[in-house]
Amino acid sequence: MRALLTGVGLALLALGCQRDQVAHYRVPREAPNAPNNPRPAAPPQPMGDRTGGPSDMPAPPAPSGKAALKWSLPKGWTSAPGDGMRFATFKAPVNGKLEATVVVLPGPAGGELANVNRWRGQIALPPLDEAGLAKARTAMKTKAGPLNVYDFSSEGKTKSRMVAGYISTPDGNTWFLKMTGDADPVAKAKPDFMHILESLHLD
Amino acid sequence: MIKSLALQTWKFLKSIQLTIVLLALLMALVVLCTLAQVEMGTAGAVNAYMRSFIVWRQFAALPFPVPVFPGAALVGLLLTINLTGKTLELKRTWAKAGLWLIHAGLVVLFAGEFVAGMMQVDTNMSIEVGQTVNYVQSYKNMELAVIDVTDPTWDEVYSIPDSELTRGGAIPIPGTPLTMNVKKYFANAELSNLPAGQTSMATAGVGPGVLVVEQPTVTADGEMNQASAFVEPTAGGRSYGVWLASAAIGAPQSFTHEGHTYLLTMRLRRLYLPYAFTLKQFRHDVYPGTDIPKNFSSLVQVVNPSQKESREVLIYMNQPLRYEGKTFYQASFGKNDTLSVLSVVENPGWLLPYVSCVLVSIGLLVHFAIVLRRSLKRRQDKKEA
Repeated sequence: MRALLTGVGLALLALGCQRDQVAHYRVPREAPNAPNNPRPAAPPQPMGDRTGGPSDMPAPPAPSGKAALKWSLPKGWTSAPGDGMRFATFKAPVNGKLEATVVVLPGPAGGELANVNRWRGQIALPPLDEAGLAKARTAMKTKAGPLNVYDFSSEGKTKSRMVAGYISTPDGNTWFLKMTGDADPVAKAKPDFMHILESLHLD
Repeated sequence: MIKSLALQTWKFLKSIQLTIVLLALLMALVVLCTLAQVEMGTAGAVNAYMRSFIVWRQFAALPFPVPVFPGAALVGLLLTINLTGKTLELKRTWAKAGLWLIHAGLVVLFAGEFVAGMMQVDTNMSIEVGQTVNYVQSYKNMELAVIDVTDPTWDEVYSIPDSELTRGGAIPIPGTPLTMNVKKYFANAELSNLPAGQTSMATAGVGPGVLVVEQPTVTADGEMNQASAFVEPTAGGRSYGVWLASAAIGAPQSFTHEGHTYLLTMRLRRLYLPYAFTLKQFRHDVYPGTDIPKNFSSLVQVVNPSQKESREVLIYMNQPLRYEGKTFYQASFGKNDTLSVLSVVENPGWLLPYVSCVLVSIGLLVHFAIVLRRSLKRRQDKKEA
C-alpha cells in the first residue's frame, strides 16, 4: 500500500514538474492556398477595421485591366501570380537566396516613410527620418508615373540587401516592387530588376 | 499516538459514510459543472470542476480567488482510496473473487479518468477538400511561432508555447542565433488603431500603429483569446526592434538575420505530425426531402512516409480513425461543406475504461455464479436434510 501511494505521489510530482519548452519542427512548406490558421472553434473575427496595420487588412481585390501595373521581364526572368496582398512573384535566373515580389495595397498604405522603415527593419537597419529618406531615395520616371527606388544593405556576417521600388498609381493604390536576399545574388540581379522598374507602365 | 491517529484516519478514509458523502459531492459537481458550461463552455467547465482538486471562484470584492468546493479530482482521489481500502478488507478467498474483480474494475475506471485528466490532449484538424494537413492544433492554447522560411521547400518552425510567454523574459531559440525577449504578454487583448499622441511599446512591424488593450480571458466554446505579445528578437548582440505579435493580426511579419528570413506569428498551438491527411471528399447527407442530417463523413488519404503507407480511410460519425495513438472523430464542418473538422484526442489511458468494463462484467458474472452455486447447494442440502 505504502509503495503504491509513493508511486502515485511520484507520478503526480513528475506530471506537475513537466514544463513546456520551445519545440522545433522541420515541415514541408505549406501550399500558398492553404487557409491561414483555420479556426473552426471560433466565430469569424472582423479584423479589417480593428488594427489598421497593412498586414492585418483583408487582401484587396487584385487590380486588373487598366488599373493594374504592367512591366516587361528581362531574359530568363519569370513571373507567377501571387495571392493575398502579393500581386506577383518574380523568379530570377540567379543562384542564391533571393526573392522578388510585387505587392499592391489600397491607398497610401501608411505612407512612404513607414513602409521604407518597415523594410529596413526586416534587414535589421535602424529607421530613417524624413531627411534620411530623401537622401536614400533615387527618383525615376516611368510610363506609370514617378517611382522612388531604395537600395539598402544590412550589416552582419552574411549581408542582406534590398532593392525596392515604390509607386502610386492614379487609382490611389500603392505598389511595392521589392527584391530581398543575400547581398551577392541581389547585386547580380539588380541590373535586370532595374530594367523591370524602368519598364513599368499602365495600359 | 501517531499510530492511532494514522489508524483513525485510515478508518475514516475507508468508511462507508465517506463513500456516501463523496458520491453526493460527485452528484452535486455534475449539476454544477453542467450549469457552469453556459458561461464557461464545455472545456472551461470540465477543467474548473472535474479536472481540478479545488473549485476556485473569483468574487468581485476580493482581489484573489477563493476555494468554494472540492473539485472532482479530489473527490475521485478520495473515492479511489476509499474503494481501495474497502477492497483490501475483502477476504482473500475464492468465494470473494467476483467482488475483488468488481472493485478492481472500479479502481481501474477511476485511474483511467485520472490518466485522461492529466495526460489527455484534445486538439483538432481542419482540412479543406483537396488540402493536405500535417498538424493538429489546440482549441485554446497559443504559440508564438518563429519560422525560418529561408529554404524554399522546408520551413523550420520554432514554437514558443504560451506558458513560456506568460513567464516572460529572454527565451533562447535552440538551433538558431535568436533570443526572443518577451516584453509583455497578454493572454487576451483587443487591438485598435493607436490614437494620435500615444506611443506603442513596439518599434517594428505593424505594432507601432496599434493600441493593445488587455481583456479578461474567455473559455466559452466558440470564443477565442486574442493572445498578443510584445517581443524583441535579438541575435549576435543586435536587436531587431520590438514587434507586436498577435492572434488578431492575420498575416505574419518578418525580419532577416544574416540571410535567414524569420516570420513571427501568434497562432493556435500546432503539433506537427510525422504523417499527413489529404481530404478527398466530404459528405453531408440528409434524409430525403428534409434538412435533417443523416451522415457526415470525410474520406481522407493517410500518407505516412516513415511506414511507407498511403491508404484511404473513411471517418464518419461514431466511426473514428485510431491512428498512431490519436483518435480522429468527425466533429464539424463548414465553408459550404468543403471544410471538414476532425476532433483529435490523444489519451494514453483510452483502454482503461474498456478494461474496467470487462473486469466489472466478469466480476459480476463470477459473483453471480458463486452465489448461484451456493444457493443451489443450500437448496440441495435442505432437500437432503
